[in-house]
Amino acid sequence: MSRVSRYRLLRVSLTTAATFLLSAPAAPPVAAQTAREIIDRVDRMMRGESSHGRVTMDITTEHWSRSLDMEVWSLGTEHSLVRVESPAREAGTATLRAGEEVWNYLPRVDRTIKVPPALMMGSWMGSHFTNDDLVKESRIVDDYDFEISFEGEIDGVEVYEFTMTPKPEAPVVWGRVEEQVRKHDLMPTWVRYYDDDGTLVRTLTFSDYKIMSGRLVPAVMLIVPADKPEERTSMTYHELEFDIDIEESFFSLRTLRARR
Amino acid sequence: MVADAVWWRIAWRNLLRNRGRTLITASGLAFGYLAAVVIVGLTDGMMAELIENGTRLMMGQVQVHSAEYRPERNMHHTIGGYDGIDLEAFLARIESHPDVTAAAPRLYGGGLLSSGDETKAGLLFGIDPEREQRVGTLLSRLSDGRLPEPGAYEILVGVEMARQLELEIGAEVVVVAPASDGSMGNDLFTLVGVFETGTPAIDANYAILPLPDLQYLMAMDPGRVHEIALTVTRAWDTPLIASSLAASLEDSGHAVEVTPWTELRPELAEMIDLMDAVNYLIAAIIFAMAIFGVANTMLIGTFERRREFAVVRALGTSPLGIGRTVVYEGVILGAISLAAGALITWPIVVWWHNSPLDLTSVIGGFSMAGSQWRPILRIEYSYDTPIICAVALFLTAVLAAVYPAWKATRVPPADALADR
Repeated sequence: MSRVSRYRLLRVSLTTAATFLLSAPAAPPVAAQTAREIIDRVDRMMRGESSHGRVTMDITTEHWSRSLDMEVWSLGTEHSLVRVESPAREAGTATLRAGEEVWNYLPRVDRTIKVPPALMMGSWMGSHFTNDDLVKESRIVDDYDFEISFEGEIDGVEVYEFTMTPKPEAPVVWGRVEEQVRKHDLMPTWVRYYDDDGTLVRTLTFSDYKIMSGRLVPAVMLIVPADKPEERTSMTYHELEFDIDIEESFFSLRTLRARR
Repeated sequence: MVADAVWWRIAWRNLLRNRGRTLITASGLAFGYLAAVVIVGLTDGMMAELIENGTRLMMGQVQVHSAEYRPERNMHHTIGGYDGIDLEAFLARIESHPDVTAAAPRLYGGGLLSSGDETKAGLLFGIDPEREQRVGTLLSRLSDGRLPEPGAYEILVGVEMARQLELEIGAEVVVVAPASDGSMGNDLFTLVGVFETGTPAIDANYAILPLPDLQYLMAMDPGRVHEIALTVTRAWDTPLIASSLAASLEDSGHAVEVTPWTELRPELAEMIDLMDAVNYLIAAIIFAMAIFGVANTMLIGTFERRREFAVVRALGTSPLGIGRTVVYEGVILGAISLAAGALITWPIVVWWHNSPLDLTSVIGGFSMAGSQWRPILRIEYSYDTPIICAVALFLTAVLAAVYPAWKATRVPPADALADR
């Protein structure tokens, strides 16, 4: 998974609060800015200290669909914790991300399991997110070259469209990533991921921008795999609070195992 | 007819006249026969070893899947779809095919195996232990422990996986697998055995669970399996048997695909075709060498008898008659060689077949074309090889006589008698 996608998905899925922290009061971007500067700025603005929220993940696949209610915590860009609250059968199942590692807790067998490298690209909780999406360390600015591929009005909204191409030696999966960002508040509207052949792999769409705990955030994120357009995973945020009082020690295997 | 019998007698007497030479020529042919049968038998043995190693361990010789299953191997595409099948009835139906010797149901899952701090991705292989043993040799490769009992949450892993997870018999293993309803199936299993196939990919990645336990873990009904693996009566006829089985399953109400091993392992089938071709080439070379040897000997024999032929010609015999006696010599020589060849070949082949030469202690085991090989020089004989070789030997003797016979008909009586 590319740094970009890691960053984006991490931001939108787990470190949501931090992610959208500063977006609302964003200053209007200066036209003279380079693409890199804008992305870097979006990055910084989105990066918050900590967050806590509740989210519903709805997954639809060709073969089944299901809905999980989850509670999420995040701290900085390195730590996050997700715990399933319902359905009852899976309540207590939890995922901890600390740095590059992802751990799962399985209440049925009362065990924590570290996701091995071979499965980092595997599905997270059956969704269209991968375990790797949870792991971030956004080095987007280091790994990609940026350009503004479009700047102007689309459907009455002034937007930037960025095209990010990985630097030759960058350890990323994507061949190209495109992102559209609204000019006036720097809210992202969509991100498209392409493979090395230039084929669209998946699209992440943001919607339902609203103010939660005083900050503007997209409350709904939808990821749709390009080869199976009838499948999707959506994340809907119901509650979100920012800059909560939380220590790094919270993101431990002990917390992961703690049933509530 | 009377004249013909005379020519046969003359041919026979000519052979007896120089017994030493006849014996040597016949021995050459007999040993050629032995060499051909043994070499073809050895190659057939290697082929059988390849097929067995390639199919016996896990693959089976024929596999039945849902028509949608291959090649994506999607977990949801079980035979009979979401509803599955009446497994016992379906197995009974497959086994009622006259060429099917055994059938075993299988379910595949991908998952995580974890013990202590160690976690590894693995391939979960759900089987019916009793049936599986009739189709594949995997369950006979236990290096430690015993087979798992269905319903007791017992599991087998490969020796390399056991090493990586630091597992010992009796250890608890957490198995996590995506289930058919989208949830994460997870359960505790007890390690009861470790298998060692010698194929690293299997020893490091496979975990074997009883079918009902894996079905439960993956939230699947007992009638849901991905695969039914079969063994058949004649491995070589597998493609034919597969299509006949497919036809007999057509009215089962389930869209199934019946695939012979030749399609599952095309590279193996190609290799075997190649070895078969090499077989014929070797046999052809052996008999080609024999043909020149025999022709040479008989040519000398006819030169020695130039005066004889001249006398017979001078007495009014047609050239055809002379040619005939030489060809008859070839026929008789062929028959003698064949009898001798069969006499020495059969005991050797039967003995070799029953006590194959095991070179394991000398060169160890090795992998070839994705199959684990035992370095065993074994002979497989079919009914056709000795018969084909016999026909080839006989033709060799007769064909070798044709040129000398033609030369004999060309002897000019006057010149030969005048020693010119």
